[in-house]
Amino acid sequence: MSVRLYFQDFFIETGETSRFAFRFFKEVFTPPYEFKEFLAQCYNVGCKSIPLVGITAFIMGLVVTLQSRPTLVQFGAGSWLPAMASVGIVREIGPVVTALMCAGKVGSNIGAELGSMKVTEQIDAMEVSGTNPFKFVAVTRILATTIMVPVLVIFADTLSLFGSFVAANIKGEISLSLFFNQVFEKLVFLDVVPSLIKAFFFGFTIGLISCYEGYNSKKGTEGVGKSANSAVVISSLLIFVIDLLAVQITNAFM
Amino acid sequence: MRLCNEMNSVKPHTAKSESAVIEITHLKKSFKDNAVLKDVTFTVGKGENLVVLGKSGTGKSVLIKCIVGLIKPDSGNLKIFGKSLVELNRNELDKVREKIGFLFQSNALYDSMTVRKNLEFPLRRDVKKEGQPEIDRRVKEALANVGLTNTIDMMPSELSGGMRKRIGLARCLMVNPEVMLYDEPTTGLDPITAEEISKLMVAMKKKYKSSSIIITHDMKCAKLTADQMLVLVDGLIYAKGTYQELEKSKDKKIKPFFE
Repeated sequence: MSVRLYFQDFFIETGETSRFAFRFFKEVFTPPYEFKEFLAQCYNVGCKSIPLVGITAFIMGLVVTLQSRPTLVQFGAGSWLPAMASVGIVREIGPVVTALMCAGKVGSNIGAELGSMKVTEQIDAMEVSGTNPFKFVAVTRILATTIMVPVLVIFADTLSLFGSFVAANIKGEISLSLFFNQVFEKLVFLDVVPSLIKAFFFGFTIGLISCYEGYNSKKGTEGVGKSANSAVVISSLLIFVIDLLAVQITNAFM
Repeated sequence: MRLCNEMNSVKPHTAKSESAVIEITHLKKSFKDNAVLKDVTFTVGKGENLVVLGKSGTGKSVLIKCIVGLIKPDSGNLKIFGKSLVELNRNELDKVREKIGFLFQSNALYDSMTVRKNLEFPLRRDVKKEGQPEIDRRVKEALANVGLTNTIDMMPSELSGGMRKRIGLARCLMVNPEVMLYDEPTTGLDPITAEEISKLMVAMKKKYKSSSIIITHDMKCAKLTADQMLVLVDGLIYAKGTYQELEKSKDKKIKPFFE
């Protein structure tokens, strides 16, 4: 493919995705509302991701602390370990790792499910039965990821900090209350709130991209695989782009 | 049997216009440079079964997808129950669709829902109005009509091809359809199951007094179900008539269907 065609495709896709997003904002506020389906999707996105996000977050907290500890001790700053871990986890590791895990698990799931629904005419069948398929399958899923990813981030932060405590306490040097006292002492408003706002955008991006890819799936079963793949790859890439922008914006206020 | 001229200026061939449920005039549809429907005109009368024959790629599926509003035609008029489909807004179109059953070639059962939920789906907006017991009764009645009451709590993946087709038909019947659209209802089924489905279609037509358009290559199905038949060639109506009339044809484009 020539460079010109590559860029042409890129801009067409960007335009179509923006149109998809506008349609979401238009449909999300107009009745009828698919509340039951939204709750079902919150369960699928949120509850079913708890084990994966929990284990990953715990291990990340553990590893970050184990890796940082020798260096901090070397510089005589061992007592700063809880503060360093808390800021790193709450600002960056918690939201980004959770979003990436969700992009992998939830994004591929949504991309493949909607792609399969598209190629087996299930979306057409909904349309024929008088249901707005965009509202039923896309709006509910985008809303669910937008709301549940921040919830998962809070859960991941908590477990990650606990993992960090376990790592710090391997030699029995610090109590749980002292560790968390130091954690909350160093955390400020501009650590917590931007990280949660960022998580909303991560969730929205995962839902939007995955639904767009699935909803516009083509070429039969091959297209379903491509949709699932694109949902994960593009969501993950955009998570880093949003993270970069979020850091710049947060730093401007600090 | 009548062979239609190239420009396809066919007048409504069966029921009188006032009793016509579907009226299609000069319908055209292209996808980029590929003209799929070039000029299609016909009507379907109340209680009539119209079988549309044609080779793959002649625009049969596009035709019934236009009728139900899934594909927008480029030009021409398309009236269902006297209402021009192209002029309807989303809500009005949904009202029309409430009277139409569409059996997809792939059945299009919702994989993530049980058979019960699949059948309830077209009526889920009516739960408050009609009450859950009434919906349950209709689900059981629709399943009884297709002889599959024992599958009510099964998932579509647990059903055979023939069973999925029957459940697809049962889901269409949930709305008490006045018009049924069948997109290759017997494709992919063994001859015995295909005949069962064809007989079921005839039985449902009698029970619900519905009009139908049936897209098929299966001549046994056509023989059992057709009141009238159309042969679609290259996006144009090539011939029309009853099964018996078309069967006697010596025309080289019609004869192969009956061999």
